Amino acid sequence: MLDLIFENPSLLLMMEHFDMNIVVRNKTVEQICNENQINQQVFINVANLYNGFNIANTKDIDRSDTESIILFLKNSHRYYLDEKIPEIHDCINGLYAKNNIPEIRLVGRFFDEYSQEVKEHLNYEDVVAFPYFSALANNREHYDSEDKKFSAEEYREHHTDIETKLGELKNLLLKHIPLKQDGSLRRKLLTSLFELEYDLTIHSVIEESILIPLIKKIEKQKKIG
Amino acid sequence: MDKCRINIAVIEPSAIIYEGLSNILLQEGCSHYNIYHFDNIEEISCEIPTGKIDLVIANPALIKGNIKTFNSQKRTGNSVPWVALIYSFFEKEIVDLFDTVIQITDSPEAITRTIHNLISLKCQCKTESREQLTPRETDVLKHLVQGMSNKEIADQLNISIHTVVSHRKNIVQKTGIKSQSGLTIYAISNNIINIEDYQE
Repeated sequence: MLDLIFENPSLLLMMEHFDMNIVVRNKTVEQICNENQINQQVFINVANLYNGFNIANTKDIDRSDTESIILFLKNSHRYYLDEKIPEIHDCINGLYAKNNIPEIRLVGRFFDEYSQEVKEHLNYEDVVAFPYFSALANNREHYDSEDKKFSAEEYREHHTDIETKLGELKNLLLKHIPLKQDGSLRRKLLTSLFELEYDLTIHSVIEESILIPLIKKIEKQKKIG
Repeated sequence: MDKCRINIAVIEPSAIIYEGLSNILLQEGCSHYNIYHFDNIEEISCEIPTGKIDLVIANPALIKGNIKTFNSQKRTGNSVPWVALIYSFFEKEIVDLFDTVIQITDSPEAITRTIHNLISLKCQCKTESREQLTPRETDVLKHLVQGMSNKEIADQLNISIHTVVSHRKNIVQKTGIKSQSGLTIYAISNNIINIEDYQE
């Protein structure tokens, strides 16, 4: 595991999302997964995403892994809301303090609207989608009220929307907004945006390529059973 | 940063020659080439009219019995240059049908140079249209950020809705920005509108 982290430090963030201790000593990936009761397949698939590869195969991921995937996703929500979004917010405010121009005020507003959307989406996952998935995986009864029904389609649209808006912000900051005196702030802002985007992209892939197919599988089994 | 993509079709039955040629073409600095492999001239006939192919490199042996097809291909894609890839003897009249030749004995630099010269003209006109908004697109943008609908813009500028939509498409493509609030920031940054004009 140590070698992998030296190779790609973003794996530290991934381990944090899995609630793993990042003091890895000389443990192997297998040992770490066993200690944390996480299916090695899940772990390797996610690590592959962080290393820039596609999902290899998900056939050994089953119902019992639902909780650990949800744990991972919930922790990444915390990371976006409590760490990344405030960080970006502070950068924009810092820029505005130095360059009192309307563009920055508008960028600030643009980002506020954006973070509001992200919050709503994440909240929807926390409140509607995840409890439903959990209940399904643990064979508990769960009643969807009509207005709070989960839909995979809507889910996907949310994701594309969230990704497009981030892309626009990057375009504005890299191509269009001229600023005097922004020192290293603009770079910091962009770096944070890239980091947020990187993790969000992986987040969407995990939801769409691992979690949703798994849920569909469980739903199917239920119908048969 | 955003180089234009150049699609190159290679019609060559030998896998080893095709692979070698692709490798040479994809070397440093030419990563914006997409290379597609075809076994014969018929396969390419449905691709050329779509305008997807920018250049064809072909083994003249495949043309020999198919001069008719070849000529009609050249006519349909009249701006698409054809390059002969020569590694044995061919009659002059076959080779003359091509725009230029590369020899199997040419150095990699010579080959990339030949190809590059043929498409550099194409590349330039593609990239130039990339950056600046045309005056008409700027007009559309001005109205757009004031929250007008496509129909209102069309009436205002005396153009069809269809034209407004295609202007909007180009604006999105050139700026990389879709949403109205994003476009507003773009318009203010580029002095297309004044912040005073912008009704919040």
